[in-house]
Amino acid sequence: MTEPRQRTNTELSEAEAIERAKLGDAEAFQALYDKHKRRVYSLCLRMTANTAEAEDLTQEAFLQLYRKIGTFRGESAFSTWLHRLSVNVVLMHLRKKSLPVVSLEETTQGTEEDSPKKDFGAEDVALAGSIDRLQLQRAVDSLPPGYRMIFVLHDVEGYEHNEIAKIAGCSIGNSKSQLHKARMKLRDLLKLNRAEKAGKSRAG
Amino acid sequence: MNCVELQDSLAEVEDASTVEQRAHLMDCPACYALVRELDLIIEAAGRLQAADEPSPRVWNSITTALREEGLIRSQRATQPLVSSFSARWGAARWLVPAAAMLLVALGLYVKQQSAPRPIAEQAAVVAPMVKASDLNDDDLMQEVAVNSPAMKGQYEDNLRQVNDSIREAQGFVDESPNDADARRSLMDAYHQKSMLFEMAMDRALP
Repeated sequence: MTEPRQRTNTELSEAEAIERAKLGDAEAFQALYDKHKRRVYSLCLRMTANTAEAEDLTQEAFLQLYRKIGTFRGESAFSTWLHRLSVNVVLMHLRKKSLPVVSLEETTQGTEEDSPKKDFGAEDVALAGSIDRLQLQRAVDSLPPGYRMIFVLHDVEGYEHNEIAKIAGCSIGNSKSQLHKARMKLRDLLKLNRAEKAGKSRAG
Repeated sequence: MNCVELQDSLAEVEDASTVEQRAHLMDCPACYALVRELDLIIEAAGRLQAADEPSPRVWNSITTALREEGLIRSQRATQPLVSSFSARWGAARWLVPAAAMLLVALGLYVKQQSAPRPIAEQAAVVAPMVKASDLNDDDLMQEVAVNSPAMKGQYEDNLRQVNDSIREAQGFVDESPNDADARRSLMDAYHQKSMLFEMAMDRALP
């Protein structure tokens, strides 16, 4: 540990930062936080749709990380380890709030309310071009918690269905079904949003 | 395969690559559009990863907790001790009132938000704050470089990220001035910036 004091934490490599953090080096802790804070916080924010809760959960995830960093042996990538830990923190929180982590129904049929709309003949607004990030963010926030979690884990964070099934304690089929319903609901929400905007601009 | 079967099959084979799915899509513009729109959603979802910045208060709370638990050595103990605030910050003493003004402006904005007002007036409140805070970045970084060079990189990163957030949120507000969520995003971004200044002040004080 002969790094010069002038070296900033952005110059510290992740491997160096991990080793120094194990020794209680505050600068190394901060370097790890700076590198991963956006992804952890965004994950918490997407899954809770609440800024205050997301900040608390980010804090809890990093505190757990720092408490356990001595046990990190590098068998998996550090980011994978941290993100799995963060997902667990969020899931624990959702379970404490008694929010459904995934829907109890295991079939791909779903309830009438949950099922995607099949109004193929209806006149609607096309989702042409790219989808605005803020609009999608709002639509994701409006999803039921179970749909939201699967969508965030799969489509935002890149987890596979078998991993989600293990994390959430559901079947792979249920994960696939929930994801499809989540996407269909998002499509409805985005279209509704565009239709409202189009209506307002016509009226204005 | 009919339209309902196609929709149900997308849960299992989401890229619509089976022979049956492709055959249906060739003949059905509605389902073809549906698959394209779902692809757009999937593509856009990737942009939500790491899209948001936590408030500096989160790191402050973490360091406080870590110190209380004895997990880290005190950061201040590793930095040279200074005799006074003015000796450390010199010309940057104005940053304290600047940060305070920013917070007061935020407070006024929040107060005005609580009273029912026309949306256009609310949007106008945001605009002057943009200009006021933009004046301080270079001076802040100069002072950080002189007085606390080890923290310069971190402050540059944080300032860049928060300014990016402000620019992005400002873009949304410019595009949709009546959009309450867009204005809230802009206010959140400014709040983060004021927290950054607050944090800098906190670190500067002996």
